[in-house]
Amino acid sequence: MSAGKAGQPSLLFTPGESLLHRANPITSLALMLWMISAAAVLPTIGTTVLTAAAILVSLVTGVGKRAVKRLLLTMTPIGVALVVVHGLLIERPDFYDHGLVSISPSGLDYALKVFMRVAAMLMATLLFVTTTHPADMLKALDQRGVPPGVGYLVASPLLLIEPFSDRAKAIRDAQRVRGLDMTGSWKARIKALPVLLMPLITLALSDLDQRASVLSGRAFRALPRRTVINAPHDSTFQLWLRRILFALAVLQLGIPLLWR
Amino acid sequence: MALIDVADLAFRFPRAEKLVLDGITLSIEAGERVAILAPNAAGKTTLARWLSGLLPEGVLTAERGHVAMAGKPFAEWPVAERATAIQFVGQVPSQQLTGCAFTVYEEIAFGPCNLALPEAEVRARVDEALTICNLRHLAERDPFTLSGGETQRLSIAAALAMKPRVLVLDEPTSNLDPESRDDLLAQLDLLPGGLTIIVLEVALRPSLALAKRFLLLDEGKIVADGTASEVLNDPRCIATLGMTAVTEAAFRLREAGRWPDAVPLPLTLNEALESFGAPLAHG
Repeated sequence: MSAGKAGQPSLLFTPGESLLHRANPITSLALMLWMISAAAVLPTIGTTVLTAAAILVSLVTGVGKRAVKRLLLTMTPIGVALVVVHGLLIERPDFYDHGLVSISPSGLDYALKVFMRVAAMLMATLLFVTTTHPADMLKALDQRGVPPGVGYLVASPLLLIEPFSDRAKAIRDAQRVRGLDMTGSWKARIKALPVLLMPLITLALSDLDQRASVLSGRAFRALPRRTVINAPHDSTFQLWLRRILFALAVLQLGIPLLWR
Repeated sequence: MALIDVADLAFRFPRAEKLVLDGITLSIEAGERVAILAPNAAGKTTLARWLSGLLPEGVLTAERGHVAMAGKPFAEWPVAERATAIQFVGQVPSQQLTGCAFTVYEEIAFGPCNLALPEAEVRARVDEALTICNLRHLAERDPFTLSGGETQRLSIAAALAMKPRVLVLDEPTSNLDPESRDDLLAQLDLLPGGLTIIVLEVALRPSLALAKRFLLLDEGKIVADGTASEVLNDPRCIATLGMTAVTEAAFRLREAGRWPDAVPLPLTLNEALESFGAPLAHG
């Protein structure tokens, strides 16, 4: 039996059989870093093409719906804020009256530049997290000989979010049946916050001690390397592709800096 | 030489007035199945942590005495060696998860993987543990979505996958429904005879199913040590933990003059069924 991924609440990951799904997670990571690096230096037209390409890839790989939804949810408020701040509020020499408001074309240009840059970076990240399961990422890190502690730092926040929020809800319910008013004014709610937070923090600290014992009991970090079961597929081609992508990511950022 | 030796162990938590463990001395042989019975707040979990080598740790040290396994104090055991020698399963299921596995399968494999065992060996151990703890149908599930009883079985499976010489179980059946409890006890009973099992319990029935030797821990001291009949019929055990339902029924029959003094009180249903012939014959 293999350690599959069925029925796991694994954040944004969407199962699939695309090239990106089958790629070694470190290769996907290298691609994401290259895209982020490119988004940081490309002009607006470049970041627009990059974002469009990433959306196209997400659609082809079957993760488009989830990725684009997240992109829109995140970028809409950012876009509105950028237009208001750079197009309407920050005073620039090219301000002109347009009925009720004054608009700056250069401010809008700048807002679009920042918007597309952030969108490209976000889309690169979304492409990575929707096609790479965190468990595979951990295995890939183990496979590359990354210390087990680093892998734990990656995995545990992802895994502990759910039990932690379940516990927070349980504490909230327990306090409510004991008479804590959570429906009153903001002042009353803020007043209730310590009563909710204290048990949560105390229990989290107690868990910390217990989990350290469990990890020690399972020989965590006792040896420098771990066995990897169901190790992600890797190839010489992917190895060289990663090297090129990492080198490009560094050069793209480094050369303009040196040029200046 | 005994497998585990506890010599005059005395321990108290920092700034506490009272000793949690007060001069505990006991020896456990390889392959023994021992139940340490204790009421709540008698020092059960603390003793379990000492027996598992999780204590001493930091400021939590013994006032006197020590615990040794195979003649070597736990403090001298390297982590990997200790993990393959002894495993501890605590009583709060959610606190037994590593927080580093996305599936039940990976949770069980976590320990063997840390030992850098060959992949085939890891898979064999996980398969065996899945079968013993009846978890095969949950292998692909997220460990944090399991019920309390399922998580408890998972903790035991993860401990068994380390192939320890000693398994310390702190109230292992407290979160299980009667059917799951009986299944688990039956499976634990089938474990290799060489495996030493120490179960710390407040409940008498699961202890009777698992152990051959019984100890009674009360206020940090071992006050009785012997067979089930010797310890469970000890007045101090009856006073703190009561009797099994079967024993209590027989006891009341004796009070009513319907159970002969010559026939010992049964502890389990099987013993009762065997004994029924005797009072009926006398009656």
